[in-house]
Amino acid sequence: MSESFAVDVENVSKSFGGVKALDGVTLRVKQGEIYGLLGPNGAGKTTLIRAIVGLIAPSGGTVTVLGKRIPNVDVLRQIGYMTQQAALYPGLSVEENVLFFAAINGAEGGVDDALKLVELDQRRKSVVATLSGGMRQRCSLACALVHKPQLLLLDEPTVGVDPQLRVQFWEEFRRMAAAGTTIIVSSHVMDEAERCQRLGLVQYGKLLAEGSPDEVRAQAGTPNLEEAFLRLAGRAES
Amino acid sequence: MSGHRIGAITRRLLQGFRRDRRTLALLFVAPIVILSLLGYLIRGSTSSPAVGIANEDQGPLGATVASALATSKKITTSVIQAADGDAKLKDGTLVAYIVFPSDFSARAQQGVIGPEVHVEGSQPGTAGPVLQALQQALISAIAQAPGRTFNVQPTVVYLYGGPGFDTLDYFGAAFIGIVVFFLVFVVTIVSFLNERTQGTLERLMASPLRRGEIVIGYMLGFTVLALVQSAEVLVFALAVLKVHNAGNVALIFGIEALMAIAAVNLGIFLSMFARTEFQAVQFIPLVVVPQLLLSGILFPVSTEPKPLQLLSNVLPLTYAVNGLRDVMVKGADLTWGSLQLDVGVVLGFVILVLLAGATTLRRRIA
Repeated sequence: MSESFAVDVENVSKSFGGVKALDGVTLRVKQGEIYGLLGPNGAGKTTLIRAIVGLIAPSGGTVTVLGKRIPNVDVLRQIGYMTQQAALYPGLSVEENVLFFAAINGAEGGVDDALKLVELDQRRKSVVATLSGGMRQRCSLACALVHKPQLLLLDEPTVGVDPQLRVQFWEEFRRMAAAGTTIIVSSHVMDEAERCQRLGLVQYGKLLAEGSPDEVRAQAGTPNLEEAFLRLAGRAES
Repeated sequence: MSGHRIGAITRRLLQGFRRDRRTLALLFVAPIVILSLLGYLIRGSTSSPAVGIANEDQGPLGATVASALATSKKITTSVIQAADGDAKLKDGTLVAYIVFPSDFSARAQQGVIGPEVHVEGSQPGTAGPVLQALQQALISAIAQAPGRTFNVQPTVVYLYGGPGFDTLDYFGAAFIGIVVFFLVFVVTIVSFLNERTQGTLERLMASPLRRGEIVIGYMLGFTVLALVQSAEVLVFALAVLKVHNAGNVALIFGIEALMAIAAVNLGIFLSMFARTEFQAVQFIPLVVVPQLLLSGILFPVSTEPKPLQLLSNVLPLTYAVNGLRDVMVKGADLTWGSLQLDVGVVLGFVILVLLAGATTLRRRIA
């Protein structure tokens, strides 16, 4: 029953010129779940997220999002995607950026809510080129969720965001998840991993381990999550 | 000042270029290509302007001058009927024709030498060799009647333009289009590349936007700018520079607009093949210079060496330039077959690059 999963990744592989970026990944995320993708740089997290959105065509396997086989343009309306780099138009103001991404999703009404959420409503007239890195990241997040998507894909959303705001971000993610939004978030910050309901450890394009933070700790036999990941990754290597 | 630190900068710069093969090629190959093209264009052209001679003179002088003209190396002569002359100028088989009127010898007896020179007139450079050749032929003819002084009074008739028609009038028509085309091209290619490098294109791809919507949206946005620019250039050329215009202003604007739209789509399409802004800018000499040399702006296509003419005939800008010139210099309208061809080719090019831009869009997101 793939219908019950918001995201269903089945045995997906992808190679870039001989290098296997994804190697038979199977991943299922339920509706309203916050799923954390963890792994070192270059492990395949971003490639996996791109495959879920349909930006890259897998060399093998299938991706199903909200009951529809990817690629599917109509499903994209239900997806919010925040790229790793704050992808914004530097010459436009904060509000103009958010309004643009709202408009291409037909959701101009959501701009105010999105700006309040990321605490940029005071800076809405500021031109993005003049903002700090953290503010850009916040603006980028606002652009990703302005159309109230059912699935939110966040590629390292809290890089450059200060600790207080990071806490706020996560509170909001939880609220959204409780309201039924499915969230997949990649990170290499363990403190964030702790806040996810389920975690997947990605390395060398493979899903090495999966489970709740507690399950992952138990699997590795250590009370420390960071330690757990290092052990699990080490096991895979040897 | 530290030689070591300066050396570090110099070394770093050269190291970067070593990996950027494309830039190296541009630096060392492009000048040779451009110079050889230019050399071939100017030196390779062997054709001399085709001039028709209509001798209606009842006396002997007309025939004498005509045979002197036939030996001239500056022009290629042919014998025609004066009545056919204008038609031959229009269809481009002749750039000029000379008529020796029936009283040519009779008037020469009275000391006045009055040949009629009919020139096509749309290209300022072409009348020169004709008049020079005529002058030389007259001098050699007069030399056979020593001791007399003659008053040479040729009548010059222009099919297009007129005696006041200058180089700017000739180039102006083409430059109106070219300026718009290249500026719009540069702006589009750079800003579409920005869309790639700043990552927003990836976001657009992950949104419900379709490829065609992105390309057409871009096209419309830049077209708005390009149309304002076209109008500005046109008004400045006509009102301030007073460039000769015999045609319909709306038609000129229409052709300009078509060129601008072609430039937008060419910019979007070519931005797929550049990874950095630096590489995008390199398309300018590659795309711009050959077209500037070969589309008949500076050198009429008909005077180019034959192999280059083939190349010119596949460049869309050749047709755009020709169309603009026909309208402004000759007063062409859409009932002219040649203008229909010109507009049709430019329109076809717009559609071609539009489709090319849309189909290559998904290939390179990051």
